[in-house]
Amino acid sequence: MPPKAQFTREDGIYHSFCGLVSVGWLYQKIKDSFFLILGTHTCAHLLQNTMGVMIFARPRFAISLLEEADLSSAQPAIADQIAEITREHHPSVIFLLSSCTPEVMKVEFEGLAQSVSTPEVPVLFVPASGLDFTFSQSEDSVLQALIPFCPEAPPDDKRVVFLGSVNDAIADDFLFEASRLGIPVAGFLPANHFHELPPIGPGTIIAPLQPFLAKVANQLTNDRGATVMSSLFPFGPDGCRAFWEDLAAHFDLKVDLSEREAASWARIKEHTDLLKGKKVFLSADTLLELPLARFIRAAGAEVLECSTPYINRRFHARELALLDGVRLVEQANFERQLRSIAEEQPDLVISNIITANPLIGHGVVAKWGTEFIFSPIHGWAGVNTLVSLFTRALRRHARLDPLGNDPVWMAGVMPGAPEIIPLTRG
Amino acid sequence: MRLAYWMYEGTAHHGVARVMNSMRKTHAVFHAPQGDGYVNTIFTMLERTPGFPAMTTSVVSGTDLARGTLRLPETLRQVEAAQHPDLIVVVASCSTILLQENLEIAAHQSGLACEVMVYDANPYRMQETAAAEGLFTELVKKYATSQPLTPMPSVNILGPSSLGFHARHDLISLRRIFKTLGVAVNVVAPWGASVDDLRRLPAAWLTIAPYRELGRLAAEYLEAQFGTAALCDAPIGVQPTLRWLDAVVEQLNTVGARLAVPPSPLKLPPLTEFSLDGMSAPSNVPWFARTADMESFSGKKAFVFGDATHTVGVTKFLADELGMPIAGAGTYLVKEADWVRSQLQGYVSDADFLATDEFQQVADRIGQLRPELVCGTQMERHTGRRYDLNVMVISSPTHIENHLLAYRPFLGFDGADVIADEVSTTCTLGMEKHLIDMFGDAGLELVESPSVPSADPVLVSNGKAAVAPVAVVADVVKPTNGHAPEGQPSNGVASSAGAPTSGQATPAPVVNPVWTADGEAMLKKIPFFVRGRARGNIEKYAREHGIATITAEVLLAAKEHLGA
Ligand code: SF4
Repeated sequence: MPPKAQFTREDGIYHSFCGLVSVGWLYQKIKDSFFLILGTHTCAHLLQNTMGVMIFARPRFAISLLEEADLSSAQPAIADQIAEITREHHPSVIFLLSSCTPEVMKVEFEGLAQSVSTPEVPVLFVPASGLDFTFSQSEDSVLQALIPFCPEAPPDDKRVVFLGSVNDAIADDFLFEASRLGIPVAGFLPANHFHELPPIGPGTIIAPLQPFLAKVANQLTNDRGATVMSSLFPFGPDGCRAFWEDLAAHFDLKVDLSEREAASWARIKEHTDLLKGKKVFLSADTLLELPLARFIRAAGAEVLECSTPYINRRFHARELALLDGVRLVEQANFERQLRSIAEEQPDLVISNIITANPLIGHGVVAKWGTEFIFSPIHGWAGVNTLVSLFTRALRRHARLDPLGNDPVWMAGVMPGAPEIIPLTRG
Repeated sequence: MRLAYWMYEGTAHHGVARVMNSMRKTHAVFHAPQGDGYVNTIFTMLERTPGFPAMTTSVVSGTDLARGTLRLPETLRQVEAAQHPDLIVVVASCSTILLQENLEIAAHQSGLACEVMVYDANPYRMQETAAAEGLFTELVKKYATSQPLTPMPSVNILGPSSLGFHARHDLISLRRIFKTLGVAVNVVAPWGASVDDLRRLPAAWLTIAPYRELGRLAAEYLEAQFGTAALCDAPIGVQPTLRWLDAVVEQLNTVGARLAVPPSPLKLPPLTEFSLDGMSAPSNVPWFARTADMESFSGKKAFVFGDATHTVGVTKFLADELGMPIAGAGTYLVKEADWVRSQLQGYVSDADFLATDEFQQVADRIGQLRPELVCGTQMERHTGRRYDLNVMVISSPTHIENHLLAYRPFLGFDGADVIADEVSTTCTLGMEKHLIDMFGDAGLELVESPSVPSADPVLVSNGKAAVAPVAVVADVVKPTNGHAPEGQPSNGVASSAGAPTSGQATPAPVVNPVWTADGEAMLKKIPFFVRGRARGNIEKYAREHGIATITAEVLLAAKEHLGA
């Protein structure tokens, strides 16, 4: 039985993105993929603004745009678009993502995907709509769609599969570390290419790298009889030590990484000295918040609050156990958080990308949670990047002339809010 | 249904957000799934808002739909408690509008003291600008109240808004002009206006609404309802600004003459008073355009694409004030296409006019034209990068790079200088081009060789050339002597330039001509900053003439044919 962790659920009046945002990294990770979103102008506008890129004239994702005339048709016709995508982008796999409007229209997505799927270019349905999925959560859906394409591993194939998309450098680091410890690796889910998916079977140990993949982990147990490792996520010296020691134990290897952990902490001492005693408030939406809070606490900071869109008692059990005593909030109410911030005066707020500048405008030192998603913070090699993300904002703020905090320097920037009352004192 | 990659306009709820975030003590509430709150980011990131944007998403989740939960009344209560707004505007989203809920009743149930307005913006029929203009007009109709005119001449400025293209700068420029004229600004809206300010609109003598997209309908309403004179022209460029100033003075004097106690008529002060120091030319454009160096602009073709206001204003400015030929123009505001086309009569033929909101079509047109200057949106910058063309951004949608700190208006005399500067720094300049053209290889080598710092005054005088050594450093290792390597046949498929590749009488369609080594080497002699365009033109020539292989000879023939 997972421990009865203490957290409260509020009413979710906060700022966040929907699951479509995961496309931003997944299309780059799975290099021969194409992401087609059956959606509206809203979804298209969301993608182009949140990805903030617009660099590629023809990226490997697109919207199949539902317009007014399409609302009445029972099943949208996407065959021509699939043909166009296949012709122009030659993908090995096409992910068909749902969005809110077709969900409300009750489009039968499984059938739609099957009707345009071919053995050469499978079209896989991925539930991702904002009605049910937030931010990074739809990576979970994408990986679930990939399970049938993972070869079946025989029961005596006892190897690890790392679960979650990480970049090549991190993947190499994990491979290297595993081989050093004598842990046999079957691969990564997802792999860089559709046809490189790892074999998974009853002997497979699934080692989750990302905290937002509870459902696919569960399904791998149900469908393939794989064992999902329960440990910390591999962030920070403390997380890495637990992760690798627990993984080794699954292969009957007894390893003691206490020295490794100590050396890793020693290397970032300059940062942890700065973090010691600092009050940190996490109010973000990437679903990385629990392990981030656990790490920053281990690094010596005081975590005032950690809020995240969803908490899974089982999948997050080990992280939750280490966050005992910290105020944990699911689906936070943002106005309440602003009041708490004014009251508790955090030294650093990990916010989402939406609220960072306004928080700074209110005198708060804020850092985008989103940056943690896009930075290589996994494993031993990621420790320095991870801790630097926390300290950079603190250091930079300390360097800037405090005169800049006078509201006069923001006058005229925001027409609707001529005067801003700081949340911070002094 | 179509495949969409990028959008020019935002959604209807983004349009609503722009108006609400412009105004004081107003708030937008989106009855929408969580992801639709993404519009917040556009404000906090592009405008770097130090406050929280005036918008809240009242989240609709799959579970809510299954259970029939409606969170809207509770969200409205919380917004009122936290923000104390005078007005909350509620909009449905692309998905929730299909649920056909009665939001009026839900809003009413919340029992708020402040005003709540459910704005019917059907996202399938309306996009950003229509929704913003529709809402703003509705608000002006709702609040504007009949009242006596101000005793002294005054104007309303309608249209500046949050995330409007260079709107804050334009407003500064307009305020400077009115200060110089001695005319008070009665109300600016929606930028910084409260609903009380909207009530005061009819006190002004004149309303100016420089943007076709926002404020014009409200100005027309004020004229029809309260008799407030309206001036809806955009003072973009020096000549239009002078005409606009005359109209402002004339219209204000007409109003003044009707008053019981007419004040003394307004007179246009000496033009130097409009300059920053009050003693110089109000704009440097007329002299700049006449300088010898600008001669080369008379041959540079421009393509202009954007919203309605800026497409019209910038096209005329380039043609009338800088003397540039216009290769084509167009707008993504399809609903404004007729107006833009009629405004550009005599500047752009119907064949060269483009009205589409499909990014790819605009990219294709630019690819065909390969103009020396593209004035467009953020999207055209990407197209420009692909074809190696000079692009300046003259319209929304923008990128963070377009949100600069310095004063960069597009309207008024100050705006004319800003646009002209942008044109001349975006295009490659004149004299340098001649020298490099004339000395061909020599000039090119100087530019490309990293071992020769930009000692040549010709090169350092131009920022573009000065940075070039870094940009083209990769070219240096390749031979630039123009001869095909020894022993390699000068592939003679098209031995006489322009001859078809086969014996057929009509040229066979050639999709992608290939370049021989000597063809490539010859191409290298063309200055780097026009090389991309030259390559495109020569390939186009080859395709049109059914030539599959581009040799040095073909290149020369093409050059002759194209008059290069
Ligand atoms: S929340 Fe729904 S409608 Fe909005 S962008 Fe996401 S998927 Fe599209």
